[in-house]
Amino acid sequence: MSNKKVGCGCIGCSIPLLTFIILLVVIVPVSIFGIINGAFGKQYIPAPEVKLPAEVIFHLGPLPVTNTIITSWITMLVLILIAFLVTNRSKLIPGRLQGAVEAVIEWMYNFCKDVAGEKNGRKFFPIVTTIFLFVMINAFMNLVPGFSSILAKTGEGTVSLLRGANTDINTSLALALISFVCVTYWGIRANKIGFFKQFFNFGRFFRGFADLFRGKVKSGFGGIGFGIIDIFVGILELFSYLIRIVSFTFRLFGNMTGGEILILILFFLLAFAGFGAIQVGYAFEMLVGVVQALIFSGLTLVFATMATTPHEGEEHESK
Amino acid sequence: MEGLGINVPTLIAQIINFIILLVILYFFAYKPVLKMLDERSRKIKESIEEVQKVKEQAAQTEEEFKKKIEAASKEGQEVIARAMRTGEDVRQRALQEAKQEAQVLVEKARGEIQRERNEAIGELRQEFADLTVVAAEKVIEKSLDKEAHRQIIDKVLDESSTLKKK
Repeated sequence: MSNKKVGCGCIGCSIPLLTFIILLVVIVPVSIFGIINGAFGKQYIPAPEVKLPAEVIFHLGPLPVTNTIITSWITMLVLILIAFLVTNRSKLIPGRLQGAVEAVIEWMYNFCKDVAGEKNGRKFFPIVTTIFLFVMINAFMNLVPGFSSILAKTGEGTVSLLRGANTDINTSLALALISFVCVTYWGIRANKIGFFKQFFNFGRFFRGFADLFRGKVKSGFGGIGFGIIDIFVGILELFSYLIRIVSFTFRLFGNMTGGEILILILFFLLAFAGFGAIQVGYAFEMLVGVVQALIFSGLTLVFATMATTPHEGEEHESK
Repeated sequence: MEGLGINVPTLIAQIINFIILLVILYFFAYKPVLKMLDERSRKIKESIEEVQKVKEQAAQTEEEFKKKIEAASKEGQEVIARAMRTGEDVRQRALQEAKQEAQVLVEKARGEIQRERNEAIGELRQEFADLTVVAAEKVIEKSLDKEAHRQIIDKVLDESSTLKKK
């Protein structure tokens, strides 16, 4: 495959044609090998099976310990180990590891401060950063070579001992719930009852009725009309607020599971196709891991900032 | 729900996992690292300020040093000038003294000369008188000729007058 590519470069044709030929050179073997694998390869490589629920490895009391929970323990262990290593021998003039860790933390801290301001940024920072690190390291765990090759015999059959924690919907749902609860808590702390006013905005509706009874028919009906719109907007707001849990969950879960499946398929299809393509997939998945971590933590931060900004201004505008 | 694999124990376990991670990282990573970062930025600020201070101090010291050097050089110049003046004075005085001394010496020498001359004249007179007596004796021994006598006396007197004149 690579020989053909080099040979093509020597012909000296125009760039679009060259691109086309290179694409052809890439795609044709891929399809050929795909067919070969599909038809004959099954005897060499087992076809990938995609299972959405995590497999239970053993039971710890009432808790079924799945392979994703084991992975998230490893992730935690890695993070805590790095934290200990850095802060135990923390020096004013940092070494390499300390510098790297401090750079990440400072970067997240500045990110929080830039988005949410000095005071709130300091408050949001721990949770946002923990989400970022947890999601990112979990995503990288998937990419450790041989990670899912360790098998364990369980009652359900032979399954991988380790599986990326992000590919379990429970993990992303847990993170989404934590993010949601924190955002709501911060919002209520910052705006008190005003936080709920954006969802249940009956003020204008009832004021309209009051106007109607006082005899101001025109403003009364107007008030009721706008009041109904307010209520409707509030309900929409509430739904979009609650649906965030679902969108958070499935964004992370979908991306990570999709990435895992992509790599699985790449391995299956290109097992005989030589090196290069799988590495590209790995690099892509690393990027996806960082981006997803950043999206999850960034969205939490943005929603928290939105929830803590006072809503009085909006109400004045609508009046 | 079943197909996706949502189950409550795993969910709770993951929430607890996250909370444990959050707490541990909060106390063992964020807090110390942020403290370290704050401390470092404070230290850096302090050292920059200190450097500024030291720089200012150095500039001030240099200024002072320059001033001192200037003052010292002025003083030195003054001292030299004063010394030169004093030297001139001393020289002048010495010159004057020397002149005076010379005057005195000259005066003294003159006096000496006068005295010696007077002495010489006195001696001469004495000798002359003796000579006159000898001459008179001689004349008397010889035939005392009036004419010759007068001639001798005149001659002697002449001689003496020339002596006196001198």
